Amino acid sequence: MSRWAKQIETQVGIPTVCVAMDNIVHYAVTYIREYYTGMPLRFVAVPFPFTGQPKSVDVGYVTGKDMLNGGPLMAGVVSALTSPLTANEKISGAPANESVEPRLLPPDTEDNLRALFDAKEWSDYNWINLPTEKKVMAMLRGTSHKPDEIIKTVTITGGARPLSVEKVAISAVMAGASPEHFPVILALATQAPFGNSTSSMANMVVINGPIGKKLNFNSGTNAMGPYNRSNAVVGRAFTILSKTAGDLRNGINAWESLGSNFQYNNILYAENEDNLPDGWKPLHTQMGFNPDDNVVTVGTGWTSISSVGGSQELYPVHYLMRDYMRSLTASGSAATIVMDPTVAGLLQNAHGFKTKEQLSEWFSQNAEKTAGNYWGNGVIQSMVVPLALQGLEPYASWRKVPNETMIKPFTNSRAIHIVVTGGKIQTTWFVTDFGMRRGVKIDDWA
Amino acid sequence: MDRRKMLALLGISPALVAGTPAYAGPAGRRAEGASYEGSDETITVMNPGIANKVADRVPLAPRLKDLNNKMIYMVNLAWEGPDAANYFYDAMTDWFHQHYTGVQTKIGVTAEGMFGTDPALIKSIKDSHADAAVVGVAG
Repeated sequence: MSRWAKQIETQVGIPTVCVAMDNIVHYAVTYIREYYTGMPLRFVAVPFPFTGQPKSVDVGYVTGKDMLNGGPLMAGVVSALTSPLTANEKISGAPANESVEPRLLPPDTEDNLRALFDAKEWSDYNWINLPTEKKVMAMLRGTSHKPDEIIKTVTITGGARPLSVEKVAISAVMAGASPEHFPVILALATQAPFGNSTSSMANMVVINGPIGKKLNFNSGTNAMGPYNRSNAVVGRAFTILSKTAGDLRNGINAWESLGSNFQYNNILYAENEDNLPDGWKPLHTQMGFNPDDNVVTVGTGWTSISSVGGSQELYPVHYLMRDYMRSLTASGSAATIVMDPTVAGLLQNAHGFKTKEQLSEWFSQNAEKTAGNYWGNGVIQSMVVPLALQGLEPYASWRKVPNETMIKPFTNSRAIHIVVTGGKIQTTWFVTDFGMRRGVKIDDWA
Repeated sequence: MDRRKMLALLGISPALVAGTPAYAGPAGRRAEGASYEGSDETITVMNPGIANKVADRVPLAPRLKDLNNKMIYMVNLAWEGPDAANYFYDAMTDWFHQHYTGVQTKIGVTAEGMFGTDPALIKSIKDSHADAAVVGVAG
């Protein structure tokens, strides 16, 4: 919204007022103003929630109170368009004060430093290793890359923060990782920060290649649980470097209403490549990497549904998975199905899916939901309706059908990923809406 | 069996198990990174924070004296759907017409969503000779 208002103020040259909801308007008038637009845009705010309300409620917002300034909303709108500019609103040019972060923090006691790290929101509030220079230097020996190399400049949520190899090493130390983990963490850093949304966005991290065994990542029993050091510390490092590089702070620029417990570890596990059925390729080779390449793949989504109990002949597992997929948004056709090797074996031997790709295609052809269910989701409304309005099919046609019409929203089978992990204890699986990005080669960061 | 050999046979790096220096420090004296909790002794640690670039300041456009006889363009950002703000903007339209003489209003919906650019909509605002704009509603 701020970007739009800035565009109108500067390109059209007319006074503009933003109408935001009071759930995150303070982010717009503080953080976005300082680090993104540089423009003291004028705002009014209506109560949240806004959408899904009866007409009387939305009309009442117009005649009601401005949640930002306290007066009548429309008086705020008129004032924003007509009140003369203040001296502050006329300022142009480079900011007077650039923010500075020293390489070393001032010496202090451990207790005080821990309190500082908590106050700055640099940790996940679990016990951290304080990053002394000696520990960070030891971590840096895990890579050939120079400490001052910039991996990426993080701009998400506003501003520009250069993420260096040394800063990632600091996060790796804090998380309790070892130098051997560091190339994995650097590869992950290229994908930082983790998801940040008003809904409960989260990430999934999959390790593929020989490094899974070499560093003892868990792909067996309890692969997704708290039973393995490498899974724990590397997943945690992604959290800590996401928070530091993303400058993510609760209620300032991190505003997930419920949050997600997944963000403590980012669902990090290794694929059980040894127990894939014949013909089922590991995730990284599906993406075009060689089997011996070491690759980390990051997915982003919100929803994860776990199966319970063993498979039944009465109703095959892929039927249940398909049914669960109806609960996903199908945004970008994305889904990731994580299954135990026993499930993968069943799907191949009992149900004839010779490859992961065949199974993904079956899901694409058979997972249906009503048009009403599809369009009744806020993410789809915000992201897909614009495509429909531009005439892009099948979305344009789906907008015209009655709510009860069944549609097949997973239009792209290549966006439906299958990952095999687990200890062959139970025929269980997860259906998730995680959209997997292209994997990152860990070897490039050794 | 030698611990190092045993770990190697298991395919696990001994250094990996040793972990960071905090775990591997020598006994008998406080190793680098050992806990200083509760101590008055000071230590120096590295800063995880990254300096953020503050945006260059941009001034606002000049404001109007009043809204009488002005053209107000209301931009619907289609947040949570193009129809989500319809009731709100319709009510706002009524309010402007009730309170200002000769005011004109127009509602434009972005075809690219809040995260798009939609140059056609910017052109529409210019072509309508709008005097002011309202942008919303999003959260």
